[in-house]
Amino acid sequence: MIQVENLTHRKGQTTVIDGISLKIDDGEWVVIAGANGSGKTTLIKHFNGLLSPDRGVVRVNDTPVEADLLNARTTVGMVFQQPRDQLVAGTVAADVAFGPENLGLERNAIDTRVEQALETVGMSEKAQQRVHTLSGGEVARVALAGVLAMRPDHLICDEPFTGLDTTSRQAVYERLCEISASGTSIIIVTHDLREVIAPADRLVVLSDGQVGFNGAPTELPADDDRFNISLPTTPD
Amino acid sequence: MLQYTPGSTFAHRVDPRGKLLVQMSFAFASFCRTTPRGLIILTVVAGIILASGRCRPESMLRGYLPAMPFLILAPLVAGITGWPPTVEFEAVYIAGLASYRIVLILLVSGVYVVTTPIRDSRAAVQWLLPRRVGSAAGIAIEMVFRFFPLLRADVTRLRAATAARLGTSRPVRERMQHLGGKTLRYGLLRADRLSEALQARCLAWNPTLRTLQLSRHDIPSIILSVLLVYFGLQGSA
Repeated sequence: MIQVENLTHRKGQTTVIDGISLKIDDGEWVVIAGANGSGKTTLIKHFNGLLSPDRGVVRVNDTPVEADLLNARTTVGMVFQQPRDQLVAGTVAADVAFGPENLGLERNAIDTRVEQALETVGMSEKAQQRVHTLSGGEVARVALAGVLAMRPDHLICDEPFTGLDTTSRQAVYERLCEISASGTSIIIVTHDLREVIAPADRLVVLSDGQVGFNGAPTELPADDDRFNISLPTTPD
Repeated sequence: MLQYTPGSTFAHRVDPRGKLLVQMSFAFASFCRTTPRGLIILTVVAGIILASGRCRPESMLRGYLPAMPFLILAPLVAGITGWPPTVEFEAVYIAGLASYRIVLILLVSGVYVVTTPIRDSRAAVQWLLPRRVGSAAGIAIEMVFRFFPLLRADVTRLRAATAARLGTSRPVRERMQHLGGKTLRYGLLRADRLSEALQARCLAWNPTLRTLQLSRHDIPSIILSVLLVYFGLQGSA
């Protein structure tokens, strides 16, 4: 479980996150939406301690993130908005192994995790390929595999469909559904709600660094234009 | 820029410590044997090392392109003396041999870079150096190998973007200022992004590294290292 209590984050004179409180349960599928600059990415970076709060606290499984960064970063996996930024090794397999190696696991356990993660994202055949030769969709899937190999309880994806074609979007979406079915909570940050809203248990909309809406997606009318996001319209 | 390329060549199978040993002994021999005859023999050895990793000399040299103008110009600069300038062919010849020696060393080290995964290099360094010194050196090497290819890719994109908008038609000085300033800014941004990625993925001082194990593939590299050291000692005697 991730608990955010009265979180405030400032960048210079600007308050990006303004006293947000939020709870994300295990196994939940939560969509965090909002217009550009509403504080979505800043908020999720607090979930695994990439940013420190100016005020408030974020707890992962009841432990404050700042008190145990390793716990936060292994429990909460994060796929970046630009997945290519996340790849740090030369080859696909080496990149996916990077996280488990840092956890100090035995080599056999690392190999097993790498195999399973690559299988989950359908990239087993490209294990020895160099990462800079991959397409955008493949990079997204490798980044996802790198996070899955850490076996997180919560998976955060920041704009996971940006720049992907229809086939790659579908592939990533299907992987996310499978991961969700295995009990991992999914937190999607997006302003494009097309694919992600259907399986969502909850929609959190940020506006000017505050929570503008927090509830079931069906509770937010499709024509609600307060938050500058477009909900997919359902046919009559 | 040279980067690790997965493969199953002989050089890929050699333990990274064996490859480091070959590099060091090759450098030792090339600094001891500075005669044309010595350099011819070392050229043959370098050729064998390149072949062991199926590396093409031209692609290796392309990887070191920024160093090439210095290696080519150095002998000329060394040979020009006085005013009006006169060329001392003896000095050009000696500096030329020294430059060629550096090229050979770069070629051999290129084979190491192309055939050794980053984490294996770190394992070898941590094996060679004790405790925290080894960890610090290992992580520094890892950072360099991870950071520079990313920065290089950023700069390539920057140059392409500049060219796409006719930036190449601007004066050289202006282009250099633009590229230099932007590269510095991109470098800092890239460093921030890499740091964030490494934090998110739990970068550790003591990750699981490959267990280094000598095998029969290392025998030729050890023999070659011993022969190179012997060859070098003979030359210096």
